[in-house]
Amino acid sequence: MNSTPSKQAQPALPAIQSPQSPQSLLWLLMRGFRGKYGWAIAALFVFTAINYLTPLIASATIDFALSEQPDDGLLTATIIGLMGGAAFVRAHLWFPALLMVSLTIVAGGFSYLKGRFAAQASDGIARKLKNRLYDHLQRLPAKYHDRAETGDLIQRCTSDVETLRMALASQVVDISNALLLLLTALPIMVMLDGRMTLVSFALILPIIFFGYYYVGKVKHLFRGVDEAEGQVTRVVQENLAGLRVVRAFARQDYEIAKFAEPNQLYRDRSLRLLRLMSWYWSSSDLIVIFQQGIVLFTGIYFISEGTLTVGTLFAFIMFLNMLLWPVRQMGRTLTDLGKSFVALTRMGEILSEPEESVPANPVLPEGPVAGRLEVKNLAFGHQEGEQTIRDISFTVEPGKTLAIVGPSGSGKSVLMHLLLRLYDYSSGSIQLDGHELADLDRQWLRAQFSVVMQEPFLYSKTVGENIHLARHHAAEDEISEAARLAEIHETIQGFPSGYSTPVGERGVTLSGGQRQRVALARALLQETPILLLDDALSAVDSETEASILKALRDRHGRRTTLVIAHRLSTLAHADHVIVLEDGRITQRGTHSELIAEEGLYSRLWKIQNADEGERTQKP
Amino acid sequence: MKNQPEEDVFSDRLDLDLWVRVFRHALPYKRLLIRLAISAVVIAMVDASFALVTRWAVDDVVATETGLNLWPYMLTYGFLSITLSAGVWVFINAAGGLSNNMSHDIREGCFKHIQKLEFAYFDHRPTGWLISRLTSDCDKLARIIAWGTLDLVWATCLVVMISIVLLVLKPLLGLLVLSVVPPLILISMFFQKKLLLSSRDTRKFNSMITASFDEALQGLRTSKVLVREEANLDEFGGLSSRMYRSSMQNALQSAVYMPIVLTLGSIAAGIALWRGGSDVMTGVLTLGTLVAFIFYAGQFFNPINQIAQVLIQLQGAQAAGERVLSLLATVPGISDSDEVKTKIESWENQHNRPEGRALDGGEREIKTLEFLDVDFSYSDGEPILKDFSLTVKSGETIALVGASGGGKSTIVNLAARFYEPTGGAILVNGKDLRERSLAWYQSNLGIVLQGPHLFSGSVRENIRYGRLEATDLEVEAAAQQVNADPFIRNLEEGYETDVGEGGNRLSTGQKQLISFARALLARPRIFIMDEATSSIDTETEQLIQEGLQTIFEGRISFVIAHRLSTIRTADRICVIEKGQILESGTHEELLTLQGHYHALYTHQFTQQQEARLFAEVKQENP
Repeated sequence: MNSTPSKQAQPALPAIQSPQSPQSLLWLLMRGFRGKYGWAIAALFVFTAINYLTPLIASATIDFALSEQPDDGLLTATIIGLMGGAAFVRAHLWFPALLMVSLTIVAGGFSYLKGRFAAQASDGIARKLKNRLYDHLQRLPAKYHDRAETGDLIQRCTSDVETLRMALASQVVDISNALLLLLTALPIMVMLDGRMTLVSFALILPIIFFGYYYVGKVKHLFRGVDEAEGQVTRVVQENLAGLRVVRAFARQDYEIAKFAEPNQLYRDRSLRLLRLMSWYWSSSDLIVIFQQGIVLFTGIYFISEGTLTVGTLFAFIMFLNMLLWPVRQMGRTLTDLGKSFVALTRMGEILSEPEESVPANPVLPEGPVAGRLEVKNLAFGHQEGEQTIRDISFTVEPGKTLAIVGPSGSGKSVLMHLLLRLYDYSSGSIQLDGHELADLDRQWLRAQFSVVMQEPFLYSKTVGENIHLARHHAAEDEISEAARLAEIHETIQGFPSGYSTPVGERGVTLSGGQRQRVALARALLQETPILLLDDALSAVDSETEASILKALRDRHGRRTTLVIAHRLSTLAHADHVIVLEDGRITQRGTHSELIAEEGLYSRLWKIQNADEGERTQKP
Repeated sequence: MKNQPEEDVFSDRLDLDLWVRVFRHALPYKRLLIRLAISAVVIAMVDASFALVTRWAVDDVVATETGLNLWPYMLTYGFLSITLSAGVWVFINAAGGLSNNMSHDIREGCFKHIQKLEFAYFDHRPTGWLISRLTSDCDKLARIIAWGTLDLVWATCLVVMISIVLLVLKPLLGLLVLSVVPPLILISMFFQKKLLLSSRDTRKFNSMITASFDEALQGLRTSKVLVREEANLDEFGGLSSRMYRSSMQNALQSAVYMPIVLTLGSIAAGIALWRGGSDVMTGVLTLGTLVAFIFYAGQFFNPINQIAQVLIQLQGAQAAGERVLSLLATVPGISDSDEVKTKIESWENQHNRPEGRALDGGEREIKTLEFLDVDFSYSDGEPILKDFSLTVKSGETIALVGASGGGKSTIVNLAARFYEPTGGAILVNGKDLRERSLAWYQSNLGIVLQGPHLFSGSVRENIRYGRLEATDLEVEAAAQQVNADPFIRNLEEGYETDVGEGGNRLSTGQKQLISFARALLARPRIFIMDEATSSIDTETEQLIQEGLQTIFEGRISFVIAHRLSTIRTADRICVIEKGQILESGTHEELLTLQGHYHALYTHQFTQQQEARLFAEVKQENP
């Protein structure tokens, strides 16, 4: 038996405390990838710088080689000088052309580097984030999952991460790019012509503000569309899950009407978003074109006055196009950024949920665990002020069997959850071999139990793997032995690929009773000191149940066993029985004592044994 | 054993026929389509004209000494700008409207169709598979029809316009600049295809990751109890790393693609500068035309990239199109025959309809149900029932007992007409079930299954699902009859309590009680309980048991149960094994038979006898 506490997995990220702003969460997530972003931005900077140079070559060629402007000692004149002078260029026009192409190729190399680094960073963050979310979800208390909606959680962990990844891949770099462009373009433009520079920036600020304003307006619309889409998926999912019920009541039309509502909502919300988008795109396009027009016509006016050259105008138009592209994208960039902030907030909500608490100074019991359980004055409520169970006290000596009987909702399963510390008890005490459960490492504690639940969960692996995962180094014959004990071996052998048959949608569909028996085999393979059976054989027919229980008794004399059961006949061998009613113990004793006693147990016994009276009259 | 859910297959050629069929779903929105096409053409024309205005203005200003009147140029420019942005407004609205309306319609069509399909269809199709058809596939198709059409029309127009302008301005130089277009198209197609394939890989891993999250959440308690958190995380980490790798591949492909395309663009500009520059020096070309050429050279990339992308996307979305269309084209295996449809129609058109008739004009009351030499096998061919015969009259309760896998559930599935016999027939009132209306028959059913399924919504809504027009009082009366009322009243908000997704805020027993009330409210003629009491504790079961007697009264009831208390009161008990009735009769008759039922029944009895013995022994030796 492995009794070393499992190592506390190193969280990939520092713990995320109470909800924080998406910006700081983002910064936190970028830890370890900030360097990559640095390289990506550096590569982009070089790319941009070269891209500025390229139109200048054409501009210089046009002005000095083709239209024979006098050398004014300015930037383009310097460039033509570097290319060997106007006369040389005029004689070898292929030279500036080749230079342009070569520069583009060099720039391409840097563009590749930028793409590579940015992808490494964004995909790396997304991978880390997904792993982190998965890890965190597993460590959140069962109480959290009782209330959370599966579909919503999955959406947050998959599509929200994807939204963020896309923003990280392009937006972070794009925004830096826009800023760099601005910072580098500005001095060059001023050097070329101060007046034209002023004119070029006339409408840039309005465009950015307009984009920002628009993003503020549509943010909630995006969320609305996502929600509506989620509703569509939910209705479809429910409809398919409840297919039999729908058919059984011939409720197809009702379901179609039920589906029409979210389906329409989804469409209408998307259309509303679209209408806003169309206004935004068309008017921002208009502003951008006006900006280009202003530059063009002011430039032409200056040319006609003789204060500007055609080449410089050409350079300005090219610069403006380069600048306008990111500015034009600004609306989308900010929108995507807004979406990714929404996604970040949603993920942050999950990540800031406290994980299952870890004891301050965990006790590490030495040596083998005997399996003595002592419960004293235990009370628990799902909510403040509510008491689902109260005043529970009992002791189970090592190797003994305790049976728990009670109507549904009386707190039996809650009690099991408390023993496994899936729920945290608020008052009273539970001790395992004299150690308070709250002081023990949860994972260590759970490793002392084998559990079979009423609706057992099987992983989408093969049947064999589902049993095997209980104990990794179990040999094959141990697995089949466990399956034999749980009376499922024959059934498994009858499957098309035996133990290698996958379970679930891709493989066999097991009946409730078969699932319970596979889960039992899994639990039997774990050699733990304590066995918990939470109504574990309810779907197995009584004949099989009896023979399984008998086999268990023959084999597991030494295990501490807790059984929740409905069929009292199966409890005859229990050392002790407690009866739970409305969260309290109302009766305790052995099976035979309880039969003799007036109370729920004997009433149940009579109900289940009504057959007997009749039968004794028969023969 | 069963088919893996199909993965997207990349088709090498465009299946035009398929796209024509998909395109039909756009036909109701003809006006949007026309607007879309017109705006695309207008935008392309305007886009191509801007450089011409620049050229015109530049040439004139170079030629004119001073005092050039700029107004004509500015007005033209202003006109073009406003036309362009109006065009953009129209096309976004048209394309988006088309896309959203189409996906709405296709989704609705699929959902409606799914409601008609028979059970066997779902046996081999996981829920997740169907959900993707209704969500991502529908969206994908609609998007590609709307935005794809737009891009294709706009981009083609733009390329054609630019080419015409270039060739008209300077044929030889135009031809030279245009020479980069064919390699541009080829390279774009090549990379777009690569990008599509790798992004598809990424999506495949993404859906595996989604499934993995789903499993983590479903199996949360089990994983905690088995202390499998780290093993699970390891497996998940492997998956997320695979996704990382394919996503990286995609990013690197596009990182290579972009520089290549940009280089081609600069080659075109270089050619313009080099050859055009010489022409300017010899005076054959104006400076303005040269500037326009260099502009145009840079304008090719975008539309060609778009065309390549749309073509590739069409190839890639073909699989989605086929799946959605084939879903819509699946003929429901169980539905009213043409004859029955005619009957229903003529009954609807009849003026004075006699009382006591069903919607197909047949008898409304169900008096007998008869299995006549029924054979049945699921699609994998293994026979479940062979020559099975059984007659049940109204007021009779039939209990089906026997080992699992013997065919009990199949019998009730056939009785509910969820499946149809592969041989023989099921007769209702002596008439073949297939000659009666399916809707009429199934509205006479009340079914309670082992795993009770509730829909999200209040308790009241869930019970009312049995009969939508039932009053609140009737709903509560049904709950009282199955003794569900006390626990419902104890819930936070009583009957208005939200049961949560799939009813997961209630215990299995509570869900089962509600599903009993729901079935009862439906006032069924045929009542089916499939292992319905196995998840309820004995006391609750006893409570239901009392109510059950009134439910069974005057109805045809089928009961599958392990619990003898539920079975004992049945009018007839059938022991089913390997698709055959081994024994049948009342409880007493079967006991005297000393056969299978006797063995089954006495088993529990002996157990109890043993227990009593132990108890006595213990009392004797304290």
